[in-house]
Amino acid sequence: MVKEFLISFLHYFVDITTAVLIAAAIFLTVSGQQMESIILWEILLSGLITALPTAALLCFDSKSAKLSWVLWIVHFLVIFSITLLMLNLFGWCSITPKSVILTFFAVVFIYLFTCFVHYLVDKKHTTLMNQQLKKRYSNGEKPEEHKGA
Amino acid sequence: MRIIIESPQPDDEDVVIVRCASPDQRLISMLLAYQTAKTELTGYLDDRIVRLNYQDVFYFEANENKVFAYYHSDVYEVKYKLYELEELFGPLDFVRCSKSMIVNMEKIEYLSPLFSGKLEAHLKNGEKVIISRQYVRSLKVKLGIEEVE
Repeated sequence: MVKEFLISFLHYFVDITTAVLIAAAIFLTVSGQQMESIILWEILLSGLITALPTAALLCFDSKSAKLSWVLWIVHFLVIFSITLLMLNLFGWCSITPKSVILTFFAVVFIYLFTCFVHYLVDKKHTTLMNQQLKKRYSNGEKPEEHKGA
Repeated sequence: MRIIIESPQPDDEDVVIVRCASPDQRLISMLLAYQTAKTELTGYLDDRIVRLNYQDVFYFEANENKVFAYYHSDVYEVKYKLYELEELFGPLDFVRCSKSMIVNMEKIEYLSPLFSGKLEAHLKNGEKVIISRQYVRSLKVKLGIEEVE
């Protein structure tokens, strides 16, 4: 369980940090601002801080689709709040309605990017698993029995 | 090692013959597990008591302190705890897919990824069951994609 969590945490850290780097690169290019070297450490730290609740919250075994959605919303709000807090803490920007809206879209972008990367990895794995299932059970197909013996 | 399965003559009983220089521990434990495995199940449906064939079970699910065996269309209550069923049928083609469910891999038509890191197993009776993130690895191990630690 701990190992699963750590692996999940590392995956999220890499994905989130990559997405934040892309978002920062786009922002800096569009705004024409110069970047200080400290920002790289801040990006790494922000990736680390946001990956922690992500791995913790998303490893819950939600039984129903409703609970899954609640978990996703709670997770989004937690990540959004942490990001706002870090923006203020690192002095990237002050909290104004405009910066909150921009942060919201940045978090949505990072969220979608991370989900998409994970989905692609899982898709690759399921293709492999489906091949194994097919190989293992396609020869031994039996007629279905509908009732107890 | 080659595996050869031959059909016996009509009146002959089933026999397993292992032809090898020195059977290793893995092979012996597999054969012992097969010989000693208790695979008989009794199912309860309304007033009926039915002997169930584990190979026809699509999945077991725990719900409100009761455990049910799902056939193609019928659902039988079984007087076992889920962890007991996991111990009994784990060495066979059954795998835990969530805290409350054990699925028969033979009944999986195909798998598809979900955005949350979970997988969806499409069963041969048209039902869909969710495979939680923490149990995806054990399915991969069962399918021989990942190795046992």
